[in-house]
Amino acid sequence: MPDQDAGSLSFKLVYYGPAQSGKTTNLLRLHDILSPELKGEVMTMETKDDRTLFFDLLPLGFRAPSGLLIKLRLFTVPGQVAHDGTRKAVLSRADGIVFVADSDRSQETNNGEAFQSMADNCHRVGLDFEHIPLVVQFNKRDLPGAVPEAEIRERWEAAPWPLHFAVALTGDGVEATFESLLRALYRRHDAELGLAREHGVGEQAFVAGMLGRP
Amino acid sequence: MNTSDFDREWRLGELFDARMLARIAPPLAELLGADLAILDRDGAALWGQPAAEARREALVLEIEPAGYLASSKADPARLHSAGRMFTALLRAEARYRMASALHLEAVTQDFETLKLEHSRLLASEARYRKLSEELEARVEAQVADLETRQRQLYQAEKLASVGQLAAGTAHEINNPLGFVSSNLSSFKLYLDKFAALHGRLAEGEAAWQSLDLDFVLKDGAELLADCSAGLARIARIVADLKSFSNEGRPPTEAADLNACLQHAVSVIGTPPPGIQLETSLAPLPPLTCNPGHLNQVFASLIRNALQAIQDAGRPGTVRIESEASADGIHIRIADDGVGMSPDQLARAFEPFYTTRAIGTGTGLGLSTARNIVLAHHGSIELASTPGAGTTATLFFPTAP
Repeated sequence: MPDQDAGSLSFKLVYYGPAQSGKTTNLLRLHDILSPELKGEVMTMETKDDRTLFFDLLPLGFRAPSGLLIKLRLFTVPGQVAHDGTRKAVLSRADGIVFVADSDRSQETNNGEAFQSMADNCHRVGLDFEHIPLVVQFNKRDLPGAVPEAEIRERWEAAPWPLHFAVALTGDGVEATFESLLRALYRRHDAELGLAREHGVGEQAFVAGMLGRP
Repeated sequence: MNTSDFDREWRLGELFDARMLARIAPPLAELLGADLAILDRDGAALWGQPAAEARREALVLEIEPAGYLASSKADPARLHSAGRMFTALLRAEARYRMASALHLEAVTQDFETLKLEHSRLLASEARYRKLSEELEARVEAQVADLETRQRQLYQAEKLASVGQLAAGTAHEINNPLGFVSSNLSSFKLYLDKFAALHGRLAEGEAAWQSLDLDFVLKDGAELLADCSAGLARIARIVADLKSFSNEGRPPTEAADLNACLQHAVSVIGTPPPGIQLETSLAPLPPLTCNPGHLNQVFASLIRNALQAIQDAGRPGTVRIESEASADGIHIRIADDGVGMSPDQLARAFEPFYTTRAIGTGTGLGLSTARNIVLAHHGSIELASTPGAGTTATLFFPTAP
């Protein structure tokens, strides 16, 4: 459930995935690309050799016609296997998830294990994995060893989650992934929060507000 | 949202408590060269007293003001710079607080996981303990069962061997018993003749002749001698049986086995022509034993060896050796006689098993020897090659 007080509404979104799949890069690119009404700095916690130890945080927000401040806080988890406790803690209370997979063929096992750990951790921290807004991004499409898109699509055909392909380093596909999650998030919460009804924010306005599009 | 969650929205008053503000605010006011108050995001004063008309500089932690600097006299540009500086401090503190709160959450999560695993381990340990107890009980039951069966088997074997012994004994004793009793009934007839002589004393010498008493006297003496021999044979069988039944004295005397061996050799006397007796006896420690029984064992083995060479029908040597090792005494009695076939070797220790002609051996020699050796906690083994000879190896452990 998003965090709510009198004048504001705050969603927590988490970028999850195996080590070095490009979660932090996604966040940095979003910071460059997006221009919502309110945009904070990327808060990068302690790192070691450019590897995330705790989390990264990018805060975004815009004000609804009703005056409600709608905030998004984008977190990344540390991908390294050893930090599972931290990963679980960061995942706690998430309202939406982007799973960032590494397209390299050699990373298929890591992707699978990370996805399974995400599902397990969701259950452990009390998230409804079946219904939480989730999009899957296959990053590093520019790698020569990347698994072909057709093969990935075929493999994920039966899965209910939107698939995206990206090159986070150049920003390619990063915004599309994020937009896809925004739409899933909106549809999941519009009714109960009365976003359209009480605050005059439709799905288009919600997406445009966060992306900073006119 | 919980007040311990790392990702909650941190308030200024929470990041910098009154004590911390009291350390930061005065030097900041000095730098500013003007009045200063620090307000939380709702405008309430955390440090200092803001004037009503004071200018406010927002302190943005993420995207919203977490609080304000307020001053009525400060230069706006300077107040803005002070705000940037304070914001930097605030963000650094927030990062630190978030990291430590997250760390605490992660550790708690790990701890919860560990507790869960621990309780699972305890449960599985209890399961395994129960299983192990059940297994132990089952093993015990099976061992008891095996022991019972073994005892039954042992009893059955013992009964069989007793039966065999009884049958053998009956056969061996029946034989002399038969001729002793037939001799005795013949002897009774002879006595009748002497009784008849009493009625014919008047006839004198003629009666003696007519009753053929010369023959009766001579044959009577032979009959009695045969009876004595038969009874002696029975007595020997009974003596052998006595030691076979192991009812002799327990071994209590300390003796030198070399002396026993020499005694056995002297009892046997001079070996038959063409057969040599060689002894090679090393000094031995004394052995607590029953020397009389061991003499019997050695004599019996040496007798067998001599017989084996005689059976081969050629000259030969019986070699008797003794030596001591750290754990006991070794004795070897070897011959180069006929040897035994594997079949004979396998049955050598069976009571009443003999290859000798009826009447020359009781078949109790080796079986008695083994019982005596076993009573001394020792061992006896036979090795034999047909045509080349037999070696009996004995071992007696010396008390530790």
